[in-house]
Amino acid sequence: MQSEQPREQASSPPGPAATVSYLAAVGTALPGDPVDNATLARTLGVNEEWIDVFIGTRTRHFARDLETGEVRWSLADLCARAAEQALTASGLAPHEIDFVVMGTATPDHLMPATVNHVADQLGLDQIPTYQLQSGCAGAVQALQLGHTLVTGGGHKAGLVIGGDVCSKHLDLDRDLSAAAPSDLVNYVLFGDGAGAAVITSEPRGQRLALSGVLNRFTGLGREPGQVIDWFGLADRHDDRQAIREDYKAIEESVPVMAVEILWELLEDLDWTPEQVDFLLPPQLSGRMTRRIAEELGLPDAVEVSCVADTGNNGNALPFLQLEALLQKIGVGQRALAIAVESSKWIKSGFALEKI
Amino acid sequence: MRPVAIVGIDCRFPGAPDPAAYWDMLMRSGDGVEKVPRQRWDARDFHSRTGAEGHSNTTEGGFISDPDAFDNDFFTVSPREAAAMDPQQRLLLQCAWRAVEDAGVAPHRLAGTDTGVFVGVMGNEWAHLHMTDYAKVTPQLGSGNGYCMTANRISYHLDLKGPSLAVDTACSSSLVAVHLACNALLAGECDTAIAAGVNVALTPALGIFYTQAGLSAPDGRCKPFSADADGIGRGEGVGAVVLRRLEDAIADGQPVYAVIRGTAVNQDGRSNGITAPNRWSQQDVLAAAYRRAGVEPSDVTFTEGHGTGTVLGDMIEIKALGHLHAGRSGRPLALGSVKGNIGHAEGAAGIAGLIKVALSLHHKTVPASRFAAKENPALKLAKQGIRLLKAPLRLRSGSTIGGLSSFGMGGTNAHAVLESAPPYAARPEATEPEPGRAGQSTGSTGLGTGVFTLTAPSTAALRRNLLVQADAMERRRVPAGPLCWSSNRTKTGHRYRFALPARDTGELATALRETAADDDLLARLVGNPTGKPQVALLFTGQGSQYPAMTARLYLQSPLYRRFLNEADEALAPHVGGSVRELLLSGDEAVHRTGWTQPALFAVEYALASSLTELGVPPALLLGHSVGEYAAAVLAEVFPLEQAARLIAARGALMEQLPEGGGMLAVRAAHTDLAELVDAEPLVGVGAVNGPKATVLSGDLAALGRIDDVLVRQGVRTRRLEVSHAFHSPLMEPMLDRFAALADETGGGIPKLPVYSTVRGRLLEAEPMDAKYWTEHISAPVLFGDAMARLLEAGPTHLVEVGPRPVLTGMARALRSAAGAGVHSVAPVPGEEADGRAFAEALAELFRSGLEPRWDAVYPQEERQPQRLATYAFSDAHRFWARTPVRSAPAADIGVAPERADAVPAQPWDQAAANGRGAVLSAVPSAVEDPVARAVIEAVAEVGGYANDEVSRLSLLYEDLGFDSVMIMELKDRLQDRLTGLEAMSVQDLLPRLSSVGDLADYLQDRVGSAVA
Repeated sequence: MQSEQPREQASSPPGPAATVSYLAAVGTALPGDPVDNATLARTLGVNEEWIDVFIGTRTRHFARDLETGEVRWSLADLCARAAEQALTASGLAPHEIDFVVMGTATPDHLMPATVNHVADQLGLDQIPTYQLQSGCAGAVQALQLGHTLVTGGGHKAGLVIGGDVCSKHLDLDRDLSAAAPSDLVNYVLFGDGAGAAVITSEPRGQRLALSGVLNRFTGLGREPGQVIDWFGLADRHDDRQAIREDYKAIEESVPVMAVEILWELLEDLDWTPEQVDFLLPPQLSGRMTRRIAEELGLPDAVEVSCVADTGNNGNALPFLQLEALLQKIGVGQRALAIAVESSKWIKSGFALEKI
Repeated sequence: MRPVAIVGIDCRFPGAPDPAAYWDMLMRSGDGVEKVPRQRWDARDFHSRTGAEGHSNTTEGGFISDPDAFDNDFFTVSPREAAAMDPQQRLLLQCAWRAVEDAGVAPHRLAGTDTGVFVGVMGNEWAHLHMTDYAKVTPQLGSGNGYCMTANRISYHLDLKGPSLAVDTACSSSLVAVHLACNALLAGECDTAIAAGVNVALTPALGIFYTQAGLSAPDGRCKPFSADADGIGRGEGVGAVVLRRLEDAIADGQPVYAVIRGTAVNQDGRSNGITAPNRWSQQDVLAAAYRRAGVEPSDVTFTEGHGTGTVLGDMIEIKALGHLHAGRSGRPLALGSVKGNIGHAEGAAGIAGLIKVALSLHHKTVPASRFAAKENPALKLAKQGIRLLKAPLRLRSGSTIGGLSSFGMGGTNAHAVLESAPPYAARPEATEPEPGRAGQSTGSTGLGTGVFTLTAPSTAALRRNLLVQADAMERRRVPAGPLCWSSNRTKTGHRYRFALPARDTGELATALRETAADDDLLARLVGNPTGKPQVALLFTGQGSQYPAMTARLYLQSPLYRRFLNEADEALAPHVGGSVRELLLSGDEAVHRTGWTQPALFAVEYALASSLTELGVPPALLLGHSVGEYAAAVLAEVFPLEQAARLIAARGALMEQLPEGGGMLAVRAAHTDLAELVDAEPLVGVGAVNGPKATVLSGDLAALGRIDDVLVRQGVRTRRLEVSHAFHSPLMEPMLDRFAALADETGGGIPKLPVYSTVRGRLLEAEPMDAKYWTEHISAPVLFGDAMARLLEAGPTHLVEVGPRPVLTGMARALRSAAGAGVHSVAPVPGEEADGRAFAEALAELFRSGLEPRWDAVYPQEERQPQRLATYAFSDAHRFWARTPVRSAPAADIGVAPERADAVPAQPWDQAAANGRGAVLSAVPSAVEDPVARAVIEAVAEVGGYANDEVSRLSLLYEDLGFDSVMIMELKDRLQDRLTGLEAMSVQDLLPRLSSVGDLADYLQDRVGSAVA
């Protein structure tokens, strides 16, 4: 395989790793029934047509009951459910799992890290766990760490998990009928969910070779495109907005970054655009994702997206895309995934080949 | 040696009532040692700090909790017999049962097999206490004691026919038992073996012996290989493992904890005194075990040492190990011993070590060895290639080899070499579905929802175990499908059957709790069947269809999908489209008869085929009008393809008929309508659904005239929404063309009993051929008659095979005459019906006694064994010596069953806590009759029951555990009590001994009215 050839530019910054790991199975968990735009519009007092036209997301799932505000699932619950599904589908026994890596921007607690609650629910013990605090790129970062651990860390198999519960910030008591679009967007864009994959050093289960992973901070000196705040005892009454986004910057930068990620992955792997059978583009919203996919210009690749149905549930997205990909990809086919984290401008992506 | 798999484990050790708690204690480096419980003996009486003669230097030891609790009802052992049994026997019995369940096997399934039982035991203290008062030696005491009975009782109660023996080699007994069990498996003597060990300390004797021999630790704790090591602390325990040849375990898809690669046993021979350990023999037995396992010493990552914590014992053990491991390559051998946690469990020490090693390999972590942090420098461990397990050792991915030593006081040494389970041992070959075509290949199974099942011998036991299962599910997340499938395999065989469809483990746990707490719910979800259900399948006719019928089921259930696809393929060439697409798209065209008929046929064929695949044997069949087509395929009248061709033509030809026909349901007997019908040549009787339920069919205008008359007479009528006048003279124009095709498709004699709605009765060797199907078109549907005949045949369940329940409702009206108590089951209860509804129908049949083919409920990837919480026995009944051992002569020690329902359960023992307060299943009944009262009293006395635990309904053998010895005694007591009784031999009595009531009735005759 191409990716096994030694890379020429030994001095270049770490790009896709030179060795291959494998995804044996993927599992996902979405809380409850899908919430459609009509329901969301009714509950929040926003215009349904506006969501349809300007956001393009049709449904999403919430861990919090929209009627009662009751929290029905924790992030740990969702992640454990997804991981259990992946583990069962992989054919690996739980004791074969050597580590758990999890990416999330919305942990249940600052401590203990949610990944440890997930391990507990799965009955895993005496293994290293990692939680990576990150937005949309967290899942890819988790994949990269998992990849590193099985290719060079002496481990044979691990769980890689991503998930977010964004509905923590879904303030149901607020009247949004007069809110500005930039404020409204936060209420209609997001959703909750989790995903997981079993990563292995040898091909097992679905035998999806992870040929390369890209994860790079590119935000030196740049203002964040997105900020999610947290509050403690001392500042909980501050009148700060919990979520702030610079949508102009996001709309401008993300498509450009996505194209750069695409080409960096292709060149590192020595793949041509024609060799890419499936494209997993960034999942910002139904509308943005459509736009970015067009700009990426891979006419032969089949787009695999989910955000229009699942909402932007952060670190769950790449796994939801992977799950859809597994239904379609055949032996010998290739896929590229691209994710951009606009908080502090992180480029990420990965390349897959079914063997 | 060929590898042997450890597939099931159960145990109880000091501070740890079950394997999970044992592992938790090991990982916490917990301490199971405590003061001698007052129930055993009064430690102060025998304590002397200096170890004076007749005294022990410690008041502590490792004791298990609840050694007196025994669920005698579960094993149908009478209280009197239970009270006479060595608690070691009682503990082993429950432990063995749970270990078998843990192996994923319903213990009933082992009955009659050559399964072997090998028990290591060295303590006989119960006999010392109870067999020395010769005047009080009873037959029960005889069978309740003796080493052999520890193993033989397991074989007896589980009905195991393989070798069954107790092994006593002192402290190495249970590892030697494991060695013998492996050999028996490999020699082909048995295919499954239960190897166990047990030790319960009832007297201070051994502690005094250890003290007098200078071997007893003053703090009652073994401190293996530690600088503080100062002797032995006594420990207790009971443990059992289920062993299989590895290849058998893999072939059967059993999960494997670990693999035994090699075992060896030898003897010290004439060493430095009979109790002194012998270094040369120890290193020989290690080498022999390595040889048998085919490993080099350096392959062994860790070893569970004997590690009694005596200065000499530790030294010799290290030297023997060092002989093989000094200078080994790689990391030194990691060494520890569980004796630091639980003390020296003597006869159970080997099994304690084996279970620890197996769990270590299973969890890929070797626990730290308690007291190892301060290692004994005199042992010079580093030089011997050994390090102590001062912290848990996480094992690397892949295979690891661990060793286990157990040495007997008399010089019989044993060593075992174990290895991690092979990676795929947990599951058989997984097949990979093609992307996008998952579940479409032939042989697809799965309803989309599993069914969780649990059985127990009483409702109280069921309730207790529901809670235990709920606890386990909430502790650890496991996928619902494999969990349910495993429950179907292991939790069967008892009288009371619980079943509940489940898609999510969390929801299931909640539902189990609710059921346990709610009597009404429990009654609804639990069956207590006396026989197998007799199932009648009722195939629904036109009018029951609706757009998207069974579409949800189709999407969720690969099994249903498979059969609907089959029907769709068979119909496709004849209907000019796809019935499947029609259903999935929710097309309203399903109401056009050209589509209605093939669509109903496809749905019913798929439902009936699914039921058959799920192991629901159709005893009787009935189809209402077009419903007869799918019924006929099931009865092998003609193959699917011919039926599809015929039903497609039937629908198409009818659709081509001019509209203008209709049907009128009339609440009147068809004979009362004859005059009105005869007056209208274009109207006929379409269906006779019951004595006062008639459907007229024909020309709309003519029907209108009849309707007017009936309404004036005050008769209730209802227009049916149909496109044509089915089963009426208006069908005439299509008959010739249909008959021509029917000639081609043919049709034979049904191979299952079909109650024909053309004939209104069971078809007796009559073909359902072209003539039949042609007649079927215009003949009235004689549902009422056919259904009445079917009910007379005595089905227990009417299962509606159609997109909504219609016929079961109509049958209800006919039931009063025949077949009251028949249950209706609807796999498709309505438009929202999905896999869960279908699963509920199957659950209902299981509760009623059906043994479904559970594999068909789950897709292949869900058929993975999951270990479930094992059976939680009742701890309501306690059996113990009346008084604890005192230093005074123990003349007053007696045996008495102790009803300690009020004894508080240990806080960690949820099962026990939940079980408390459970109602005993005895049926109290006021017994006025003096003979019956005398019989009940005599039975209670002989069995050791309370009077209110015995009723007329109690079965002597099955419920009360009577045996031949007890029958002899019962006869004597009856003769004492009933003075008017004629002379009677046991021979006379034997045939009358089913229930207490039967016995009482028999005696009543022989006594007349003369009662003492």
